Amino acid sequence: MGERGEVPLAGTTGFALSKSVNATAGTLVALMHRVAARDRQAFAALYTATSAKLYGIVLRILQRRDIADEVLQEVYVQIWERAGLYDVTKAAPITWMAAIARNRALDEVRRKKPLSIEDAPEALNLASDEAHPLDRMEQSEQLQRLRQCLERLESDRREVVLLAYREGMSREALGQRFARPPATIKSWLRRSLLQLRDCLSQ
Amino acid sequence: MTERDDIDVLAGEYVLGTLDAAERAAVSARRLREPALAAAIEAWERRLGPLTETVPPAAPPEGLLARIETRIGAPTGEGMQRFLALERRTRRWRRVAIAASALAACLLVVIGLRELSRPQMAKTYVAVFQKDDTSPAFLLTVDLDTRVLSVQAVAAEPQPGKSYQLWIASDKQGGAPQSLGLIEAKSESTRRALAKYDRAIVERATFGISLEPAGGSPTGRPTGPAFHARLIETTR
Repeated sequence: MGERGEVPLAGTTGFALSKSVNATAGTLVALMHRVAARDRQAFAALYTATSAKLYGIVLRILQRRDIADEVLQEVYVQIWERAGLYDVTKAAPITWMAAIARNRALDEVRRKKPLSIEDAPEALNLASDEAHPLDRMEQSEQLQRLRQCLERLESDRREVVLLAYREGMSREALGQRFARPPATIKSWLRRSLLQLRDCLSQ
Repeated sequence: MTERDDIDVLAGEYVLGTLDAAERAAVSARRLREPALAAAIEAWERRLGPLTETVPPAAPPEGLLARIETRIGAPTGEGMQRFLALERRTRRWRRVAIAASALAACLLVVIGLRELSRPQMAKTYVAVFQKDDTSPAFLLTVDLDTRVLSVQAVAAEPQPGKSYQLWIASDKQGGAPQSLGLIEAKSESTRRALAKYDRAIVERATFGISLEPAGGSPTGRPTGPAFHARLIETTR
């Protein structure tokens, strides 16, 4: 687990490992179970442990704090309501929670006019590249593995995947950025996704 | 391009976020009824999830937790999950059931109660059948639009030489319980069409489950120990 901070992936979309969830996965699982049992203290603890990560995720996609504030509230209301459906055998708690957060943020951002290139991610300047030892070796290894597979994609296509996933950029916005029609972006995505799937299943 | 590739690409684009609003809405709806698509989405959430480690965290504003706690403290029904509504009401029902258990004895106790109707919501009703004061034995759901009822055994032990029998009682039909047939205590779900009962009857009816000799009540009326329940409207 040597090279954390810098990563050989393209410029603006380069990886920066971030300070994220300090609680261990096991703690989060225990909290999720208590939240499912309607334990409000556990819910507050879960919020404290995870809200900066989830806020970072939705803010990155939405790029407006007022909207992100509202969306984050809805995300935690959903987490409270669905905690009983969380299945520990399917995903780590943070994966499950991040999926809820991203889905909610993406629903919101897709309802709106697509962002133009001028409003691109840099506008918010959120980056704080502090390297941080991950508490969960397992997660790190998953990221390492994903990185290896991403590095096998051509650089434009890799950047498209990262901009879509992290910044929530639409096909149209990606088309603008890469000076291609959205249909081309779609076919890039298709190939990249299948390539990633196959690479990760090896 | 295989069918599996198509599903994986659609699920992948959904998770990646590149579908437009209409496509996202379609996939959100399909994932609820297509297990293969739901599984493909979950697989992409796991595959791409590690990328969230590379997104810098950001401190949410002070006071946000308090606002969330207010929202979860006073549910409005909006966005409320059926499971939650059921769970919360199960607990409330349990208290009623404990209080009523002394009276219940071997009777089918009829409690019909219809909560305020909210016409904009899908009309699904749920009833919880209480075996004792610790665990629900059966869950019954009724979709009023299709008038299809399904019963799920949750903690009901199959009894040797006995059958569970489902009953419906309605004041509009004289109040006497009518049989809706036997319930498999082992199977996941027993479905019954209630087409012969009109919507208003179903909505106000009371349902009961009784323990009968194998094959059902010999008299056409509940004869054994009964669990009783009222229908409670849920929001979805």
